[in-house]
Amino acid sequence: MATVSTRERRGPGQEERDQEAASRALGLSTGWNVFSYLIAGMLAYGGIGWLVGRAVHVPLLFPIGMIVGLGISVGWVIYRYGRAVDGELGGGPGRGGHGHGNERGDDR
Amino acid sequence: MTGDVAAAAAGSGGGCHLFSGCGFPAPGLQDFNFKPLFVIGSFKFTKPELVAILCAIIVIVFFLAALTKPKVVPGKMQSLAELGILAVRDQISRPAMGRKGDKYLGLLISLFFFIFMANIMELIPLFQFPAMSRIGFVIPLAITVYVVYLYLGFKNQGAWGYVSNMWPRGVPWPIYIILIPVELLRFFFIQPFTLGIRLFANMFAGHLLLAIFMVATWYLAGLGIGLLFAAGSAVMVVFVFLLELLVDLLQAFIFTTLTATYIAASLEAQH
Repeated sequence: MATVSTRERRGPGQEERDQEAASRALGLSTGWNVFSYLIAGMLAYGGIGWLVGRAVHVPLLFPIGMIVGLGISVGWVIYRYGRAVDGELGGGPGRGGHGHGNERGDDR
Repeated sequence: MTGDVAAAAAGSGGGCHLFSGCGFPAPGLQDFNFKPLFVIGSFKFTKPELVAILCAIIVIVFFLAALTKPKVVPGKMQSLAELGILAVRDQISRPAMGRKGDKYLGLLISLFFFIFMANIMELIPLFQFPAMSRIGFVIPLAITVYVVYLYLGFKNQGAWGYVSNMWPRGVPWPIYIILIPVELLRFFFIQPFTLGIRLFANMFAGHLLLAIFMVATWYLAGLGIGLLFAAGSAVMVVFVFLLELLVDLLQAFIFTTLTATYIAASLEAQH
């Protein structure tokens, strides 16, 4: 392992390939984050709606909660990921959050 | 239907074809349940377990054999192992974590090659079953990743720092209140759930698809017009086989890449 981990492959076009790989990882992570947000919004507010609906005997609050949750998730996804800055996903305040890797702080 | 098919198959000497009176023996959930190979007390050892253990042994033995005594001028096995390691490092670890990720390369390599081997088993004759199409093998992997990135997050950022870094910056405070349940649920439940369920669902569906076309080829084969359909189904078997080859690799890649990005997010706050 030691021989491998110290080995570098720096050839022509390596920078471009590194950037391509980084943007692929970022895109993959963003895609699954968006998917997670959509599911989480529906489940969270659907769950709250279900609990409240059970307490006040209004079963309709469960589907209403799910729709509201989906709406919140969609709105948040648009706010957070919808505006690309300089061709990058999720740049800008409050939009490059957890799990994006757009500020890796690496020392390449 | 399965009972009818079995009866018809037994009656016609094992052949269940179009026009032979039996319906299409559609593959389904029953194809994911196997008879125990052997039983020890209440523990039943089945084919998926054999496949998973074999995959782990293959990966361990291969890397041990290739890299126990590495040479400056590598041999064939060492070259192959290094190629795999460099691919994981340059395509998965470094893009997500930079050089800091080299510390976690062992975990990522183990995950990638184990998942890839367990997936590719669906295409290898005699085994013909992807271990990852059984959710019991996927969930422990997802939980392992989950525990690793939670531990690293708490260790590197502190408990409060890690939780507070989840919250988005630059939004009005009422939005925080609205987003708290969504963020908590997403981070602690949905994220590990989607990590595992995607791998499981892809392998499950892929195996089922392959089984459907293989059974259909056999079912449609005959001297009549069915032969034409059987040929079409056989072409689909080849197509799905090649597609699955790609999916097996891709699913291992996606699982490992997402693991790397989750670990990256645990190492430092990313805003």
